[in-house]
This record gives sequence, C-alpha cells and structure tokens, in this order.
Amino acid sequence: MIGLTAARQALDFGELMREHRAMVFSVAWHFLHDRDLAEETAQDVFLSLHTHLADIETPAHAGFWLRKVAVQRSIDAARKRSRRPQVALEDVAEPSVRPASGDPMLGGMLRRLIATLPEMPRMAMILRYQEDLDPAEIAETMGIPLGTVKSHIQRSLALLREKLERRGVGER
Amino acid sequence: MDWLEQELAQALARKEPAAGFDGRVRARMHPRPQWLAIAATLLVMMGGGEAWRQYHQYQGYLAKEQVMTAMRIAGSKLNRVQMQLKGTEQ
Repeated sequence: MIGLTAARQALDFGELMREHRAMVFSVAWHFLHDRDLAEETAQDVFLSLHTHLADIETPAHAGFWLRKVAVQRSIDAARKRSRRPQVALEDVAEPSVRPASGDPMLGGMLRRLIATLPEMPRMAMILRYQEDLDPAEIAETMGIPLGTVKSHIQRSLALLREKLERRGVGER
Repeated sequence: MDWLEQELAQALARKEPAAGFDGRVRARMHPRPQWLAIAATLLVMMGGGEAWRQYHQYQGYLAKEQVMTAMRIAGSKLNRVQMQLKGTEQ
C-alpha cells in the first residue's frame, strides 16, 4: 500500500516535472543569464517541489507554486552570485549589421539587454513576456504592489526602446 | 502588443533545459549510499576496538606478573630473615 502510494507520488512528480521544467528553467535562465546556474536553480526548485508535494492540491496549484518558487530561487541565486560581475550595458556588443524583426541576433540582443536591468524590473519583464502574465498576476507572483509592477514594465520598455534606437534598431 | 513587445515575447520564449534534466533531479533526490565507505569505516572501528581491548588485556597481564614477581621476592626475603632469626635464637 505504501509502495503503491509512493509509486503514484513519483509518477505525479514526473508528470509535473515534464510539464513545468521549461517554465522553471527559462525563468532562471532569462533572469540569471547563466545556463549552468539556471540548471542548478531549476533542479533546486523541483527538489523543493518533491519535499512539498503533499501540500500541492491540484496541477494548477503546482504550476503557480513552481513559478513563485522559481522566481524566488532565481533572485536568491543572483544575490549569492553577486561576487561575480553582472552583465553591464557596455558589454552588450553593438551589432555590425542592424538586426531585423524576428532575427535571432535581435533576440540575443534583447536577452542581453534584459540581463542588464535591475533585479525586480528584470523579473517583471520575464514574467510579462515569457510567461504572458498580466500585471496583477505578476504582482501576486512576486509579492509586490500592482503599481510597482506596471511602473517596472513601462520604464523597462522605454529603456529598451531607447537602447535599441541608439543601436539603429526600431520599428520597420 | 507593439513590435518591441512581440520581439520580447519571441526572445523570451520558454526553452527546455539540457537533455537528461529529469534524471539529474532524480539523482539528487536519491543519492546513492556509499556502502563501501560505510563498511570500511565500520571494519576499521571494530578492528581498532579489538586491538585496543587486547592491548589493555596484555597490560593487565604484565602488571599481574610484576606483582607476582614482587611477592615472590618479598616472600623469599621474609624466609631468609625468619631463618636468620631462628639461628640467632638457637
């Protein structure tokens, strides 16, 4: 009986991991801009899920829980890594050719520019555009006021537009 | 969504972690017990305990032997003194 329960729990955990690993890993990867650290952080999130599996009521609850823990663990990992230099805006190379819309080069430049944003605006942008959450959901996930989320997103977008225009990238 | 927001949604699309991610998580959930190291440590501890016990036993035997020798010497000296006393009385 105990064996059956354990097997069922393991199966459910496996399904949750398959369903949510891309979300958890991508939150960490886009936030930390370091593949190895993102993998380690994502593993930590799932180990934590395994420990708290009995508290998870539904698959939707698991998704919400995992996103929240991924956000917190990524912020913690970035703070622990503070000895290592962050990506500075000056380090984001100027493209030799102007990237076009949908160009992978533009995608890479945007990810590097996102990595230069301060912690909270960076996470708000990731949750907005990776996870397609609305500002209220972002506020709930990050545990910050709605007005702060809206302000982070507006300012970050304005900053990115300015940086891209300076690099000759704009609406075509 | 304007062009920049569309580009951001594309740039920040979800990505799968490297292949074998689930296995790496499971490996951290159930770390293999290091039986050999545990067994070796136990053997060394048991062997060390036995050696320590035998050493103490040997020390006890030596001490007992020394006491017996001392008693034998004292006994023979006492006999000699008694013999001398008897000779003086006669």
